[in-house]
Amino acid sequence: MKQNFFYILAGIAGLVEVCLFYLSVEFSNPMLITIGFIAGVLLLYMAYRRVSDRQVDERLALINQKAGMATFMVFWVIFFATSLGSAVIGLGAPRFPHHLPSGKGEPGLPDRSMNIPDSVLGSGGHIPDNGSIRLGYFGYMQLAFLFLMFFLYVGFRVYYARKYGEWETDEEQD
Amino acid sequence: MKNRIKVFRAMNDLTQEALANELGVTRQTILAIEKGKYDPSLELAFKIARYFGVGMDEIFIYE
Repeated sequence: MKQNFFYILAGIAGLVEVCLFYLSVEFSNPMLITIGFIAGVLLLYMAYRRVSDRQVDERLALINQKAGMATFMVFWVIFFATSLGSAVIGLGAPRFPHHLPSGKGEPGLPDRSMNIPDSVLGSGGHIPDNGSIRLGYFGYMQLAFLFLMFFLYVGFRVYYARKYGEWETDEEQD
Repeated sequence: MKNRIKVFRAMNDLTQEALANELGVTRQTILAIEKGKYDPSLELAFKIARYFGVGMDEIFIYE
């Protein structure tokens, strides 16, 4: 398999993942995107191993290794700090999950006499679960960190590539 | 660490590309070694020395 074909395959896989994410949200099924993403990564990994015209020598391997390690160290510190903060929020919550007093009707439904506006209530008239909302925001934050780490990796990659002479030129340069 | 790869290449009338192909690395790696930006692994250093048919200390100078 040629390397350019692999890049096309990676682009297609990315589009499929976006579609899976949309469907996952649409059907409220988190397993769809979770399993789909893992399957996509495995597929790309197997395809990458079949690329015949890639040339990775020891210098390129060293650049990739150093960039990956530096990114991982930054990611570990930031992710751990954020997780600690989230754990403190979770542990400090008065009750989990949070419920308002139920009325006489269906269990879990709020007392209508409290005049809670519909905008506060979730679908079906239930009180939104504050714990779930926090976890949802934590998910957004994780995604944002992952995207930031991608750019950080590119930055480290450029730094180490420059350090190990990736863009050096000489008289033999075209 | 300094090296004399460029000298040996000139003596053998070899381009960086040709030497890189012989050693199974990229041309950029040969260029980086010549410019002192990258120190090759022991294995690659032996390959280079063996390719030119000389001892390693004739090509690489530790400072």
